[in-house]
Amino acid sequence: MAVAETLPAPQASAGRGGLFAFGNSRALGAVMLLAPAVLFFVVVFVIPVGLMIRYSFYQQTSTGDLTSAATLANYVRLGSVDLYRTVVMTTLRVSLWTTFIAMLLAYPLALVMVRGHPLVGRALTVIVLAPLLINVVVRTYAWRVILANGENGVLNWTLAHFGLGPVRLLYTEWAIIIGSVHVFLPMMVLPLSAALGKINPAVEEAAATLGASSFAVFRRVTLPLSVPGLAVGATLVFSLTASSFVTPALLGGNFAKMLGTLVEEQILVVFDWPFGAAIATLLTIIVMVVNLASVWLIERRFPSRAAEAG
Amino acid sequence: MHEGGLGKGAILLYSVTGVITFFLLVPLLFPIALSFSDTPFVVFPPKGFTLQWYWKVINEPDFTTPFMFSVQLGVFAAIGALLIGTPTAMGLTRYSFPGRGVVQGLVLSPLVFPMLVTGIALLRLFTSINSNSSLTNLVIGHTLVTVPYVIRTVSASLLLIDPSTEDAARTLGANTWMTFWRVTRPQIVPGLFAGGIFAFVTSFDNYSISMWLADAEHFPMPMAMFALISRMFDPGIAAIASLMILMSIVIVVVLERLTGLQRAMSV
Repeated sequence: MAVAETLPAPQASAGRGGLFAFGNSRALGAVMLLAPAVLFFVVVFVIPVGLMIRYSFYQQTSTGDLTSAATLANYVRLGSVDLYRTVVMTTLRVSLWTTFIAMLLAYPLALVMVRGHPLVGRALTVIVLAPLLINVVVRTYAWRVILANGENGVLNWTLAHFGLGPVRLLYTEWAIIIGSVHVFLPMMVLPLSAALGKINPAVEEAAATLGASSFAVFRRVTLPLSVPGLAVGATLVFSLTASSFVTPALLGGNFAKMLGTLVEEQILVVFDWPFGAAIATLLTIIVMVVNLASVWLIERRFPSRAAEAG
Repeated sequence: MHEGGLGKGAILLYSVTGVITFFLLVPLLFPIALSFSDTPFVVFPPKGFTLQWYWKVINEPDFTTPFMFSVQLGVFAAIGALLIGTPTAMGLTRYSFPGRGVVQGLVLSPLVFPMLVTGIALLRLFTSINSNSSLTNLVIGHTLVTVPYVIRTVSASLLLIDPSTEDAARTLGANTWMTFWRVTRPQIVPGLFAGGIFAFVTSFDNYSISMWLADAEHFPMPMAMFALISRMFDPGIAAIASLMILMSIVIVVVLERLTGLQRAMSV
């Protein structure tokens, strides 16, 4: 979504009165239609986020009031206390692994969806999309059943049948990574298949005719041309994993904490609003940096596509 | 490589895809398998066969109350999202004006902004202005994050209409509202419908906003399920998960029939 998230340009031609022109004033028509949404978004989105960021620069007194002077103390605490630094590093590590594994799994799926037999492609599309409509808590519960430590876990039961195991996965970073890949894989497959669908098959055929092996065609032609889709997918998966709560809470527990579980604890259990606001602001910065990096990468390498999307 | 085909790697590619599909689907079968187990605890492999857990959970207020609350919340959020999103989609598709990109970026931003943070910001706002009605707060929060879906589906529908039908109605003397109600609205019904369903489903499944704004009397389904996971050890929890999966399958089929799943969810 991130980068592809733009609507097509308006189709009303210049000079023609728009549908909802009030009198002859086109501008008034647009204002009347858009004002409610803009007002709503400013009041319940822009202002609250500003309020929250402001909170992160203050400290809380024992009575719950804010101290008068702005300070960076909350951010210093986040970066200097070992416990919190570990949480930041875990968040980045889990999100990177999830993104990387999702890329590896999404590629064959997207290729078959776009290039495979039409019936297979259609079935696969439904299989990839359908889980998106199943609640995250339910999907994560399924992974708890599978990864459960001890002989009741499906995985350990299966391994025991082959004389292997047991493995201890639940409440580790790898449990979060496995669960996150399962939950967010569709977000990688969708933009990737869109990008693969845009590649002109003639380009690949030309490469093959000129003597490139199948693998060379993939590595030198298909893969580079699919980078915009990969970048959008990677941005989405990374952002969603980094800011998730349910998956780390149910699969990582207290043993593998991420920023999502830490911020919940600080605001809803400890009631330390300023520190919680600082964690939330850091999370926002991480996600925004990844988004901007992805836009920059696509615009630099694919100026034409970027123009098309914008 | 023949046209549109997968070339020499086809067999390998199909097998790898098969394994990944297995990884996507099979985990969802385990809760269903466990929900029929005739044991007092969730065990694998399941033993015996019983439907008692389904009977138990549909008579369990810890399940039914949040379920009904989530349905109510989802309907309110969908109505709110349609009311705000439909005029916005028209403004963005029918007019070209300076700042259009900014407005569009603003109304679609909840899709890219970390939702967990959106929830924290909303809690900050509602605490600051002493807004204690949990239901109102939840409806506002859910409307905010579902509006972009309505804007997308309605915009897609609007772009399929020939604007000259609207011009014709206006030339023949219809006013703005009549043009919308008699000409535009009938043509964008699929978009409105898909947008409404999407808003409902997104609200019904939402956790990241609800976790900050809910209270004990206004407790949506996903949070109830989360709480039950650490409290309920009998296969009833698997039965709840199975019912939720069943509900999602019904929605998938409805969406696929209505608009085609891929078009409805196009990224």
